[in-house]
Amino acid sequence: MYTFDIERPSTVGDAVKLLSDSTESQPLGGGQTLIPTLKQRLAMPDRLVSLGGITEIQGISQDDGGALCIGGGVTHADVAAGAGAYAALAGLAGKIGDPAVRNRGTIGGSLANNDPSACYPSAVLASGATVVTNTREIAADDFFDGLFTTALEEGEIITEVRFAVPQKAAYMKFEQPASRFALVGVFVAKYADGVRVAVTGASEGGVFRWAEAEAALSTNFAASALDGLSLDGSGMISDLHGSGDYRAHLVAVMTRRAVEAA
Amino acid sequence: MIVSGQVHGGLAQGIGQALLEGCGYDENGQLLTGSFMDYAMPRASDVPFYSVDHSCQTPCTHNPLGVKGCGEAGAIGSPPSVVNAVVDALRRGGHDVTHVDMPLSPSRVWSAMQG
Repeated sequence: MYTFDIERPSTVGDAVKLLSDSTESQPLGGGQTLIPTLKQRLAMPDRLVSLGGITEIQGISQDDGGALCIGGGVTHADVAAGAGAYAALAGLAGKIGDPAVRNRGTIGGSLANNDPSACYPSAVLASGATVVTNTREIAADDFFDGLFTTALEEGEIITEVRFAVPQKAAYMKFEQPASRFALVGVFVAKYADGVRVAVTGASEGGVFRWAEAEAALSTNFAASALDGLSLDGSGMISDLHGSGDYRAHLVAVMTRRAVEAA
Repeated sequence: MIVSGQVHGGLAQGIGQALLEGCGYDENGQLLTGSFMDYAMPRASDVPFYSVDHSCQTPCTHNPLGVKGCGEAGAIGSPPSVVNAVVDALRRGGHDVTHVDMPLSPSRVWSAMQG
């Protein structure tokens, strides 16, 4: 690890100020990706700006419309324990990584990193959630922009994520045997105006919506509605743990299981 | 208790070899399983509860106490047991499979099922 300075501001405004001055700075959420990256000397920021001391991005609440609002700095463990109004989301958070990861990692950090195998992006996309930052609100459909890339600008901080609570939902994850990240994860959410299906872990383009499955399930929310539907293995991640064809197969299986569990 | 523990550990080692552990290399010889993010080491949640049977003891005839060594004894028998069980299950399921390379990851078993 190279040496760096660390700041711990107590407001979003101060954090943004620190991130926008001339120093090479990086925001630090729970550090579950950034700290290992620093340990391997794959990054050398002059300064880390910890978001851990900012109370205004903590907390879970429901707004007047019933939407679940989760602060950007809320840990996976706190979502697991406190997002009971959206059980599928709480369940997803409770199965990310291990207890150490869940007690440090944050929803804002996970979304900003947009790891192609992370769990949270599928929930945000399937729920059509709104990502709120210090400057604007970004619809989930506009937020994810390929591997490790999002619509966030330099120095922009996720302050809150707002989820409309669906009528039915479930997340099913097939774990990579070593890391236990999602080899494929599928989040299915049924709303009054239709079903959304988001897939993580599978595509070389990162999290994506499976339009054919959404159309079929919007007509008939049953696993049998998926009969005959499949995805093409080209464009899927192919590595030591599974070919593109295998991942495409798993997407169909996990979608079916998610519908049955919802 | 020490002998049971040795057998438990040996079984975990053998089951890990059969189902999880393996070194992978790319076409340039670069190791792909350089960390536990990619090298699947067996963990407690990967193995079942065991009951170890000590009832078939055959005392050693070459020492006064009749004792034998027991170092990770379960590691020898478990890989072929697990692999044969998987191949047997595949055949009973109608798949013409006679061999799958270790480790029998979900991906490899699925590939074997595709014929």
